[in-house]
Amino acid sequence: MKTCRVSFQPGGAVVSVSEGTLLLDAAARAGILLDMPCGGQGRCGRCRVKVESGEVTGRENIHLSQEDMAQGWVLSCTARVVGDLAITVPPKVERDRAIVELPSARAAAQIALHWPRYPALRRAYLELTPPSLEDNAPDLERLRRGLRQEANLEGLELDVYQMRELGATLRQDNWRVSATLDASGPGNRLVDLRPGRIKGPLLGLAVDIGTTNVVAYLVNLDNGRLLGKASRMNRQVSCGEDVISRIVFSQREGGVDTLQNLAVDTINVLVKELAQAHGASPEDIGDMVMAGNTTMAHLFLGIPPRYIREEPYVPTATHFPVCTARDLGLAIHPRASVYCVPSVAAYVGGDITAGVLASKLYESDTLSLFLDVGTNGEIVLGNKDFMMTDACSAGPALEGAGMRCGMRAMPGAIEDVRISSLTLEPTIKVIGDVPAQGICGSGLISAVAEMLVTGVISKGGKIDLDYVLSRQPERPRARPGESGPEYVLVWAGEAGGGTDITLSEVDLENLVRVKAAIYAGIMVMAEKSGIPLDTVERVLIGGAFGQHINVEQAIQIGLLPDLPWDKFHFLGNTSAWGAYNILLSKHARSKVEELVAGMTYVELIADNSFMNEFTASLFLPHTDADRFPSVAHLLSR
Amino acid sequence: MALTAIEIYKYLPKTNCKDCGFPTCLAFAMKLAQKGAELSACKHVSEEAKSALEAASRPPIRLVTIGKDGRKVEVGNEVAMFRHEKTFYHQPGLLLRVKDSAAPDKVAQEMAAVASYKVERVGMQLSWNGLAIQNDGGDKAAFLAAVKLAQAHPELALVLMSDDPDTMAAALGDPAVAGRLPLIYAATEANWQKMAALAKQHKCPLAVRAGGLDALATLTEQVAAAGIEDIVVDPGARDFGDSLNALTQIRRLALKKSFRPLGYPVITFPGEKASSQEEEVLLATQHIARYAGVIVLDHFSPAMAYPLLTERLNIYTDPQKPLQMQAGVYPFGKPDPASPLLVTTNFSLTYFSVSSEIESSGFPTWLMVVDTEGQSVLTSWASGKFDAEKISKAAKNFKVEEKIGHRSLVIPGAVAVLRGELEGEFPEWKIMVGPREAVGIGPFLKQNWAR
Amino acid sequence: MPKVEAPVEKWRGRVQEVRLGGDGRKQVTVGGESTLPFLHFDGEIPHRPVIAAEVLDMPPADWAENVVSAWGDALKSPAAWAKKAAQLGADLIFLRLASAHPEQGNTSGAQAAKTVSQVMEATDLPLIVVGPDVAEKDNEVIVAVAEAARGQRLALGTVTDKNYRTIVATAMAGGHAVVAQAPMDMNLSKQLNILCCDVGLPKDSLVMDPTTGALGYGMEYALSVFERLRLAALQGDAMTAMPILCHAGYESWRQKEAKAVEGVPVSWGDQKVRSLLWEQMTALTLLQSGAEIMVLRHPRSMDVVRGVIDRLMARQGPVS
Repeated sequence: MKTCRVSFQPGGAVVSVSEGTLLLDAAARAGILLDMPCGGQGRCGRCRVKVESGEVTGRENIHLSQEDMAQGWVLSCTARVVGDLAITVPPKVERDRAIVELPSARAAAQIALHWPRYPALRRAYLELTPPSLEDNAPDLERLRRGLRQEANLEGLELDVYQMRELGATLRQDNWRVSATLDASGPGNRLVDLRPGRIKGPLLGLAVDIGTTNVVAYLVNLDNGRLLGKASRMNRQVSCGEDVISRIVFSQREGGVDTLQNLAVDTINVLVKELAQAHGASPEDIGDMVMAGNTTMAHLFLGIPPRYIREEPYVPTATHFPVCTARDLGLAIHPRASVYCVPSVAAYVGGDITAGVLASKLYESDTLSLFLDVGTNGEIVLGNKDFMMTDACSAGPALEGAGMRCGMRAMPGAIEDVRISSLTLEPTIKVIGDVPAQGICGSGLISAVAEMLVTGVISKGGKIDLDYVLSRQPERPRARPGESGPEYVLVWAGEAGGGTDITLSEVDLENLVRVKAAIYAGIMVMAEKSGIPLDTVERVLIGGAFGQHINVEQAIQIGLLPDLPWDKFHFLGNTSAWGAYNILLSKHARSKVEELVAGMTYVELIADNSFMNEFTASLFLPHTDADRFPSVAHLLSR
Repeated sequence: MALTAIEIYKYLPKTNCKDCGFPTCLAFAMKLAQKGAELSACKHVSEEAKSALEAASRPPIRLVTIGKDGRKVEVGNEVAMFRHEKTFYHQPGLLLRVKDSAAPDKVAQEMAAVASYKVERVGMQLSWNGLAIQNDGGDKAAFLAAVKLAQAHPELALVLMSDDPDTMAAALGDPAVAGRLPLIYAATEANWQKMAALAKQHKCPLAVRAGGLDALATLTEQVAAAGIEDIVVDPGARDFGDSLNALTQIRRLALKKSFRPLGYPVITFPGEKASSQEEEVLLATQHIARYAGVIVLDHFSPAMAYPLLTERLNIYTDPQKPLQMQAGVYPFGKPDPASPLLVTTNFSLTYFSVSSEIESSGFPTWLMVVDTEGQSVLTSWASGKFDAEKISKAAKNFKVEEKIGHRSLVIPGAVAVLRGELEGEFPEWKIMVGPREAVGIGPFLKQNWAR
Repeated sequence: MPKVEAPVEKWRGRVQEVRLGGDGRKQVTVGGESTLPFLHFDGEIPHRPVIAAEVLDMPPADWAENVVSAWGDALKSPAAWAKKAAQLGADLIFLRLASAHPEQGNTSGAQAAKTVSQVMEATDLPLIVVGPDVAEKDNEVIVAVAEAARGQRLALGTVTDKNYRTIVATAMAGGHAVVAQAPMDMNLSKQLNILCCDVGLPKDSLVMDPTTGALGYGMEYALSVFERLRLAALQGDAMTAMPILCHAGYESWRQKEAKAVEGVPVSWGDQKVRSLLWEQMTALTLLQSGAEIMVLRHPRSMDVVRGVIDRLMARQGPVS
């Protein structure tokens, strides 16, 4: 048999191996241990090295692009030596980036303004002519005249409280005033009047109220720039993790008020944080747009949501009156207007309509599937000719809640897991440079996909204790726990919190239900419309959750349909993005109203089809393996 | 072929004007695709679109009505080979054949038995649809006499059976039959012109009989060309195997090939080749499940009528509704008043998983099943169908306190939040939160009820 | 040229064949069809559906009087019972080890093995043997039976998604098949089949029990589950292609329509007629939906249903 010389850079080690040797074995002979969390199965793509010269076989791998291959990148666990070779091993940092290149981290699109900037909030600095015996028009008349002449603004509206202060304000800096006006309605409503010229920019706030997380964006309305972003857990979580629990809570005495206050408190904390960070005063925020699901919108406005829960699931409203910050207790300018993005139905809310606006799905010929996965999963299928939508209850697992070791995607959260097929030892990736404290939604998807592919769990989602014991007789990571079998992702000694980080069968079952609900929601839509799923040309993933998930693994567990990866596009937090557009453009606001009227809502529990699809999806990846050919192929190995 | 929602949508105006009562044109299209709406609800659809959509929505099997009011038989208009694909819509008529050769008082007795038979099942009154009166010996007078006996039971649907057009004409002209729109049985190769003329004259549906599908299709085309629309076909198959073949093929031809000459309901006679009454009933059973529209039996007794009516009810149940268990308190093992009491919903799969865990635990247990309209624990809780009030009402209805000595109730772990509410509804009860998953029931029972 | 072209369906798939019974004894093969039940014009039906007689290892406590009297003294011993069933023309014996139930005697694995041996001495028909449906006892008695009847190719049960690993491993070691039961849902049946095959069970060693509903008690749901499984199998899905076992006897005779002699409406008619029809109609409806192994309770029903199967299996000429 032919002997080949393989040299490795940096370091310059040279080894002789026989033809057909795997590169990783050659590297091991040279004393180079390559990072190989999947156990050398060609699944994780982390053992890539570059062939500078010479020939290898087994170059193709799903983790390598055409460009990578042209540059000489190979995976050392699949490439075999066929002649003398010169290999470059990239530094460790580089290898980590290789993971990041996985489809999961396909960069989320930047929040952008799609519309001509035309905010509803305007500010005018006026230098009014002081009154005299010749020009003795009343103060209000003078202000109107100034607005008309100097800023071309007609139809000033103000209330009696503002009128009480008007005389003094106008005179305080010798008839120089800054007027902030809200033109979202028919006239120009006076939001703020202050003496002199205000230096800072005009600010607006775009807020996405999720069931679990609240995100706020501080926006400079003068130039459209996004100044900052802050997010927190929705304080309503203390009254229930999902919308149904919140609605149940709202039916208690004082429940609606409690929840309304908690929503507002959450936002106020974010406002304070953002204002401090940008040297502004909360009072400088003169306009706000809120996008949230229908229940969140009801609670935010203090409208009892109970009828959303009861058959036939009718909300009090899908379009909400514009109100002021003071009405709601928001700690921004008390007269700032607060616009809630309209909903389609009880379970398809303003977060989705804002998301559709951001995705621009409605203006393309391309058949697109838009997904927003949070505590609920909402799905929109359509293009410029039609849009249909449905919603399913997913539960908070993907947001890191409802599990013993679950946490939000923040420093300390496990976000990526690779399990060696040989040793069943996991390698984890933690957000931030800190010890692991728990697991977030993307980490959970990743962990379950790996457990499935390595045989730690069955397709039914049950941990195979015997199999793990056979591979890990010393210290098995799978063991009987308090609530059934569990798998230890991180031993206490390595964990931030000092206890084992585990996934139990109950956690797994939870995730399987979540993914089943979402996949079933997608399938029912395809079925009801008569549009086969494989004709979908783009899958647009919105919602905060979408930014971190790994498409390959999400397909492996059957959460996302098995379509080519290049059809998936991550849009980031589309709800906040849509709200940002509405804040900055009146055109966007009228567009979103138009979109709502054209979206067809599909009620999932109207017949059996959802239940049927759901049961079929309660399996990994799916009862019908033919729908997931790429996964079936992987599992058959 | 049926169009999909998106295909229908292409023909609609896409203005979302809401005049049809649906929020969008696509919502309307989806309803049309499910046959839950009529195209005429849209006032703005173009003529061209209308004709295209109407052609696609024409029923592949003619809807035929036998009789008027009362127990009329309305059959046809089916769209599925298998009930799970959609549902079976129009229950086949069940009729008893009486022969004019039998003694008149016996005939009268049989007619009265059919007419007076009533049985209740799941809150519904079930009854036999009617009578087929056969001209057995070829004697016109005997036939007319038998037909007259049916006058006592005007609510029953009638099939008049004679191959002789004169005899048929006489019967149709009899006041006993006037206005009852009986099915005329049957037009054959030999007599079809005259029979068709009678059907036309009396506006009655007409049965067409021929041996084999070829001859049958030829004959229905001739009868249809003579202006008869309401046709019922008899392919002449009388045994288990041949009738299964013939009825399956007729249904397939109508639905899958849009073959109009056989797009009619089928009449069967399960008694003719049966070697026992059980076989007759079993063949009728096959015909109910496999595509018959009118089933004419030769025997009638309550002990066979009740199971057949139940069979028909089962087969024609809408499969789109979730399978529900009957609400009630179910014993497992041989529970006594000290055995644990669990509560769950009446969604079948929920019930099955809970009951199988209880069974496999071997623990004698009471399980109270609450009517949640077939929804699972979380769904029914979410929609307010499984709450403290519903549970306490159910407990009262089922007289739980008489069966059970203790006062503790185990609720599903998934709805632990109900505990507080329930303690309000059941002040003297101890509410225990059971496991979240059914798997945990065995260990839970062992832990809490260990002897 | 014929006017009507017979609308024949050509299916890609075929039902899995499963053979039961040991060497030198009577064997039964079920499955193998390439058509829907009894539709000979579409494809082949190499094996007719078979009838299994339900036999308990203890005298039944709550069976209807007309069933008890039909079997007579045979009920006193499983061997005599099985022997009589064989004489009455049963194709298989379905033996339920009821006495192993903790509340019914809690008999041991050794006792179960002994019972099975006795039944096998009394008749050479193939056996389906199931435990009392209590997880721990099922494992105990089925493991013992599998050992004792090594090579006899029994069908062992009842496998569910909770216990499949143990019983499947036991069955494989002893060369047996299994009966896998899922709660009346096509997907759950298929999932259980996949799980069993994933742990190494050959596809020809599995019989599905998709759960039976009696007439008036969910029969139509069972019918649709059977039909959907069978249609999927014929469309080429190997994981739904296993033969189907149906409990028409057990499920029908549980209902008051079959049992009640007194205190029921007159319109229900004579219990002796009604009860038999209840069992036979459930059986026929589900045979025509795809059942291959029909477990029955009353001797008369076994006889009548067999007669109907005969008539349905007689090949018909073309209709047109």
